[in-house]
Amino acid sequence: MTAVAARPARRGRMFGGALPYILLSPLVVFIGALSFVPTVDTTVEAFFRVSPLNPPTQFTGLGNFRALFASSAVTGAWVNTAVYVVIGVTLSVVLGTVIALALRQRFRFRGIVLALVILPWALPAVVESVIWSWIYDPTFGVMNSALHSAHLIGGYHVWLGLDRWLTIGLIEIVQVWQITPLSAIVILAALQSVPLDLYEAARVDGAGAVQAFWRISLPMIRPALAVCTVEALILSLNIFDQVYILNGIAPLGSSVMLQTYLTTFQNLNFGGGYALSLLMTVATAVLSMAALALLYRRPEAALWRWRYEASGRRRRSARSRPGRSAGRWRAGPSGCSGGW
Amino acid sequence: MTLVIILLWSLFPIYWALNVSFSTLSGADSAPAHYVPSPLVGTSYRAVFGVDGAGNGISGQLGRSLLNSVIESGGAMIVTVVIAIFAAYAFARLQFRFKRVIFGSVLATMLLPAYATLIPLYRIMASLSLVNTYLAVILVYVSGFLPLSIWILYNYFNTIPRELEEAAFVDGATPVGALLRIMIPVAMPGIAAAAIIAFLMGWAQFLFPLILTTDLSTQPVTVIVAALDQQRVVPFTLLMACGVIAAAVPGVLALVLNRYIIQGVTAGSIK
Repeated sequence: MTAVAARPARRGRMFGGALPYILLSPLVVFIGALSFVPTVDTTVEAFFRVSPLNPPTQFTGLGNFRALFASSAVTGAWVNTAVYVVIGVTLSVVLGTVIALALRQRFRFRGIVLALVILPWALPAVVESVIWSWIYDPTFGVMNSALHSAHLIGGYHVWLGLDRWLTIGLIEIVQVWQITPLSAIVILAALQSVPLDLYEAARVDGAGAVQAFWRISLPMIRPALAVCTVEALILSLNIFDQVYILNGIAPLGSSVMLQTYLTTFQNLNFGGGYALSLLMTVATAVLSMAALALLYRRPEAALWRWRYEASGRRRRSARSRPGRSAGRWRAGPSGCSGGW
Repeated sequence: MTLVIILLWSLFPIYWALNVSFSTLSGADSAPAHYVPSPLVGTSYRAVFGVDGAGNGISGQLGRSLLNSVIESGGAMIVTVVIAIFAAYAFARLQFRFKRVIFGSVLATMLLPAYATLIPLYRIMASLSLVNTYLAVILVYVSGFLPLSIWILYNYFNTIPRELEEAAFVDGATPVGALLRIMIPVAMPGIAAAAIIAFLMGWAQFLFPLILTTDLSTQPVTVIVAALDQQRVVPFTLLMACGVIAAAVPGVLALVLNRYIIQGVTAGSIK
């Protein structure tokens, strides 16, 4: 107790209260100069005509935005990106949950399996995209060969660059392959923090495995699912590497990030690039907040409801052992807040 | 069974890259495809490493770009972790004004997409004549990796009992002394997690080095592999060997140090 009281005084005496600011100064310089200033710059310059080939910079109001939306490549890229996001978020969260559920139980070599499952997350997206481009390749690709051997297709197909939605789907699979391990690990950690007596109590109440998943696991991993959704959302809104390698600069499967790159660094229309960047930054913020508001919910509320319904059912059920399970339920919801 | 499917999904593309890289061009070009190299040869790797004098200068490009990747991701890792240790310690242990505001704004930049900073960062580096230097790449990486590193270390510092430091204070240690001699040694697993994740993120970067580097003196291996892929003149067995080599460093690190990665990723994600 005395030590706690003495600490601030001691620190104050030694450094005159400046120590925290000394420790933080490199961080503040970095984040200030290389994150905050650029973000403000993007916000302002989006309303100016900025071209290194054609100075000076002039105020154009919404001119950059109007010019962008007159381009079919740009509007198409917005639609494409929306599709990338829908596929990417859905697949990575669902697959992540499935993988986490499969890896929840302890078994031999579980550590090794976990290490192997993470591998796609750790490798550069560019290299992964090059690998997948040869899997999808019309003449050398293993996808044609395997599907043909399985008699699922009559002849070899050109997978990328012909059909817009097929191209987008196949490119997004490459990203899903990379980001799913992250979701799986996060969801797995959440699953493992669920107190086991919740499942025990549910079993006593006669709930099957499926019911236990919907009524206990799902509410408990909801915060983790929210985090995974937002992460997948940001990554798929930003999709670039996979599109650059697998689609090239063609408008067919182009993403907003690819258009931003082309507008800015190929066409040297910096103002247009700024406008696209600003729109996407705002879209990212709005969608992330919306996803968090919709999905992030502390698990207690759902569990209390389940407890209430379960106790109602218990009263009617002849098989239940009221004294024991009632005691467990009381411990359940308060006990789980410690896991978070 | 589920497990087999999961492993197949996770590993098949990686296996396929290895398979192709160890095949001859005609062996890899056959229909139906060979699922093991036949014949198994190391010609692609010999060419990539320039052993036979073959490979049309790929060995030089790949070697130099690997060195660049090591310098850029390694440099960014060191700077990020050092700055993050000091900042995370201040956030976790010290009381000061505007703490919540500063902490909140730093973490909020994690949600900032690359869009928000891409063009201004290029222009800042161009105005400082830093385009195509290691310094520009490292500075940009550090600004991007700091929030996650701080979050990982902040959580780790919070798991360390305060009594450890109290004991040091009683012995007359200063806060800086306690940080250097108590917190850092005890927090080594957390620091390792932050470091390895920063290194992997650096190694995987593509868009920022694509605009910030212009020639082989600074281009990392991701940019070179993409360039070789775009040229469409390199035989694809050779290209796969390049890809395998570029992925080998993060791949081996992830396999060996996966414990730290899992710990860091879950610390940085939950709650």
